[in-house]
Amino acid sequence: MLSALVHRELITVLRQRRMLLLQIGLVGFFALLVAVRWPTDARVALSGVRAQQVFRLFSFGLLGMLLLLLPVFPATNIVHEKQQGTLALLLNTPLGPWRLLLGKLLAVMALAGMILALSLPAASACYAMGGLSAKLLCAVYGLLALVAIQYLTLGLLISSHANSTDAAVRWTYASVLGLGVLSLGPHYFFQGTQGYMADVSEHLRTLSPFAALMSLLSAGDVGGSGLISTTDVPGRFAIASLVIAIVAALLTVMRLNHTIFDQARPAGKISNDQSWQVQTVRRIFFLVDPQRRSHGIGSLTNPVMVKEFRCRRFGRLHWLLRLVAVCAVLSLALTYATTAGTLDWGVETIGSILVVMQVALIVLITPSLSSGLLSQEVESGGWQLLQMTPLSTMQIVWGKLLSVVLPLALILCATLPGYVVMVYIEPGMELQVQRVVICLVATAVFAMLLSAAVGSLFSRTATATAAAYSVLLGICAVPMLVWLGRDAPFGHDVVERALQLNPIAAALSVIRLPGFQDYSLIPANWWFLGIASVVSLIVLIVQTYRISRPR
Amino acid sequence: MASDKPVVVMERLTKKYGTFTALDDLTLTLYAGQILGLIGPNGAGKTTAIKILVGLIRPTAGTATIAGADCVRDSHKIKRLVGYMPDTFGAYDNMRVREYLDFFGAAFGIRRRDRIQRIEEVMDITGTGYMRDKYVVSLSHGMQQRVGLARTLLHDPQVLILDEPVNGLDPQARIEMRDLMIRLAAFGKTLLVTSHILPELSRICDRVAILTHGKMRAFGTVEEIGRQVSQRRTMEATLASADQVSAAAQTIREIIEADAEVVEVAQEATVRFRTARQESELGDVLTRLVQSGIRVTQFREVQTDLEEAFMTFARATEPAGDTPPVSGGRAHA
Repeated sequence: MLSALVHRELITVLRQRRMLLLQIGLVGFFALLVAVRWPTDARVALSGVRAQQVFRLFSFGLLGMLLLLLPVFPATNIVHEKQQGTLALLLNTPLGPWRLLLGKLLAVMALAGMILALSLPAASACYAMGGLSAKLLCAVYGLLALVAIQYLTLGLLISSHANSTDAAVRWTYASVLGLGVLSLGPHYFFQGTQGYMADVSEHLRTLSPFAALMSLLSAGDVGGSGLISTTDVPGRFAIASLVIAIVAALLTVMRLNHTIFDQARPAGKISNDQSWQVQTVRRIFFLVDPQRRSHGIGSLTNPVMVKEFRCRRFGRLHWLLRLVAVCAVLSLALTYATTAGTLDWGVETIGSILVVMQVALIVLITPSLSSGLLSQEVESGGWQLLQMTPLSTMQIVWGKLLSVVLPLALILCATLPGYVVMVYIEPGMELQVQRVVICLVATAVFAMLLSAAVGSLFSRTATATAAAYSVLLGICAVPMLVWLGRDAPFGHDVVERALQLNPIAAALSVIRLPGFQDYSLIPANWWFLGIASVVSLIVLIVQTYRISRPR
Repeated sequence: MASDKPVVVMERLTKKYGTFTALDDLTLTLYAGQILGLIGPNGAGKTTAIKILVGLIRPTAGTATIAGADCVRDSHKIKRLVGYMPDTFGAYDNMRVREYLDFFGAAFGIRRRDRIQRIEEVMDITGTGYMRDKYVVSLSHGMQQRVGLARTLLHDPQVLILDEPVNGLDPQARIEMRDLMIRLAAFGKTLLVTSHILPELSRICDRVAILTHGKMRAFGTVEEIGRQVSQRRTMEATLASADQVSAAAQTIREIIEADAEVVEVAQEATVRFRTARQESELGDVLTRLVQSGIRVTQFREVQTDLEEAFMTFARATEPAGDTPPVSGGRAHA
């Protein structure tokens, strides 16, 4: 019975044409990773340094690919079955929750195995070059297998709790970003210091597969600044990932029963009908109460924009206001701590934290807001209804974009108090701060238009969201991989050219964060973002006209 | 409320997808205040015809106009003239019924004050007032259909085009929807309705068009369509005892046409036959049955209903071998 389940799950995914394209793309990507740094000289150093450099780049590329491609499969798995009604059928069979989970896990593990297997020829090429031990090769692949298990179980857990496929995709990628990348952040700033925060950040970074892989490949720490850590990061990561996988699997099993369907329809309670005490508490708690009776849409307001705000769960005003409030308080607190001398980080470091915090928010939130602008309408049947209204295509697109622009503007405003205090402390930084703000605005616009354009190419929201996240994270992550390989195997020029594509790197170089200060990324990065944004906008408009015109 | 003013006019409407013809030379006229039922099996071309009317599909040939506005050239006018309810509801997450109607009202450019009033009116007409604060996604199918109808009425369109409005509704909701459509026609609205639930259509429609394989096979009132099905009428003799069914069938065969179909239904103690004989000749049949000692408890004509007419046309256009076998008694030529 279990094999039948695995077979069905695998066949469903593998028979799709896009899987074939994905496999071809992956083989090409892995080959490219090796070919780019393959020695072309007549002589090769016997020490095998070159092979290690190539393998290092290849390993990070492989890890990046796993993190970008894999999560979408488990994330959509259970929630999609729930929506299709097939989960009810499965729960009605003698297959228990354990076997169900195992079947699904094995199926997605097989996909992970396929991705890793596709990389083997390229890995063998690195090995054949000499200088690499079989032990290291096995250790890297073992680590990647652990990464796959951890994120696949996590994806299945999120999928079992989500009510829509795009929400599942969004939360899964958020957890990937949080565990994989953001967990490295505190360590970067607290490394080499003593105290509670240093210990916490040290533990936190062991959750990241990047830290574990860097340690395994003897590539040091993220922005290590010459400091050597004695922590067994791969070991700790292995334990942490296994614990996370086991806990996630247990929680998923607990969810795979009747309780997954046992949900009452939302009653549609309205705050206006409740007592004034309740109304007051809700007003204080929510700032903008989502359950208050809304007023009619203003005659001069774009109705599509209001509709988008009203029908989204994440990204409604009360959430954004809370987020902005937290960011504003954090940025002010950081700046105050530096001013008061509690922290000796310097203004540049504080600026970097603000930049990273803001870019992380933009990268995390923007695809979830803008990738499904068209696909959600097409999928729900709302597009047909919109077409039957006198609203023009441009009005619809503009309304939809406005509904993303406003939350992004709020996010951008979140750290403004921090920058203002920074300029007050160090007036000489005014130009830098101005440039950083321009970088952030350009990043927000680019992220919005790119996500919307990529999303418009798909008719299903989950696919659109996953594709938008993959492309945006790819643009943000791949140049960082090149940056990690600065000095060896990549030279200054190659790293600079790669970073010119990266909006985060541009902002960090402007704020002169160590590691980025040597690269001149402005205005090349602005040109790239501008051109890419215009192209994305054109794609979005063309796609909108394409689905709008009568067939 | 029907008038002689044509509102919906389709002239030789044809839609082809490559070599496949989805709609073939459809010509049809609908007058103000009328309800037209468009029926046909799946893939007959009903939704294609509707989508051409509302401007979502371009016809390959032919023209379609609504209140004089061309469905291809005057798509902006059409949007104001037509209220279209597709077979999918088009729900938005986290949106309440009033917010949902408010959005579509605003999309139609109705000013806020007028819109608030109009929303109350359409909720009153469709009986959706009590669900104003509920989330549209949490509504039952029947409730969603009513909200969908309220949405189509918001801009007070002249013509309502409803694609499968009673599909999936429970009997009570179906009756309510039927009454609602009759009420809308009484308000002077012209309705074009597709449905698979034929008894519902036969009760409310002024005209019915039967489509199969993209072609219109019959058009008219239910009675006119019944006559188009066959010149012969179906008669039924119910007997006091099932033992006499064979004897009665034999007697009837001796009197009526040689090629007439006579069906014995022993379980119901009934004999049905189709004949072109007139009233007086049918009286002779009854007399002969009684004289033969057969105890007849009822002798009546069975009206050709829409379902029967539909099945006749559907079977006539099915490829050979696709027709399911007739059950429920023996057929005799």
